[in-house]
Amino acid sequence: MLKNSYHKIDLFDKALSAAWKNNQAISNNIANVNTPNYKRESVEFESVLQKAKKVIGPLETTHEKHFSIQKLSVEPRLVKDDSTSFRKDGNNVNIDTEMAYLAENQLRYETITKQLNDNIKRLRISMSKG
Amino acid sequence: MSIFKTMNISATGLTAERLRMDIISENIANANTTRTISGTPYRRKMVVFESQQKDAFQKLLDHAQGNQSTGNGVEVTGIVEDSSDFKRIYNPEHPDADGEGYVLMPNVDVVTEMINLMTASRAYEANVTALNSSKAMAMKALEIGR
Repeated sequence: MLKNSYHKIDLFDKALSAAWKNNQAISNNIANVNTPNYKRESVEFESVLQKAKKVIGPLETTHEKHFSIQKLSVEPRLVKDDSTSFRKDGNNVNIDTEMAYLAENQLRYETITKQLNDNIKRLRISMSKG
Repeated sequence: MSIFKTMNISATGLTAERLRMDIISENIANANTTRTISGTPYRRKMVVFESQQKDAFQKLLDHAQGNQSTGNGVEVTGIVEDSSDFKRIYNPEHPDADGEGYVLMPNVDVVTEMINLMTASRAYEANVTALNSSKAMAMKALEIGR
């Protein structure tokens, strides 16, 4: 049971690092809003998590020749959007959407910290009442 | 540490935009300067922005750790002069007028400069917002487990 509660905290930890990395990518985009030929960066985490959730695993093996499906690692992925151009100078940072992403990402980060704190609080309560 | 890296990225943006505003102010201040050390009227200056790349060591380290890190912000790689022609204005009373009464004036267009100034100042504000948001997130992270 305890293993499961810590598993959730591990997941929050990963989600927090992903949101932090996303904030870094968005800050970099905003810093480069006037740089010619700059292409925007973004961090993908939710899609990676979705994909990892679909794979059941790791499968137990009782024989050395059994196949085993490894659990996919849930790591945020940094993507560069090279395909589009927003302006004539080759830059594709749209400052309006970038500011929206910034606010959204900040809210997401704060939501996850709240969930994480509540989780820890619940664990603490269940440990002290017995 | 990546907490401070994010803030450094926003700081590079702030520095670059502020330098750009400085150069624009210089252009506007010298919009009517007909004499410089080089003997010509004042030439309009422009800043060149380039995205700051990771150095070779960080690239290798990232690769070894299987880590993908973002860029390092922006840097000003140079200040170049606008080579377009000077404006020729008829003003025989001007002390620098030639024999036909024409004066060469700087190639500064004040309207263009004002628009660039607005862009730079908005971009500066955007970087301030990004910095504040990073700070708020870091403060939240300090409250974890309280």
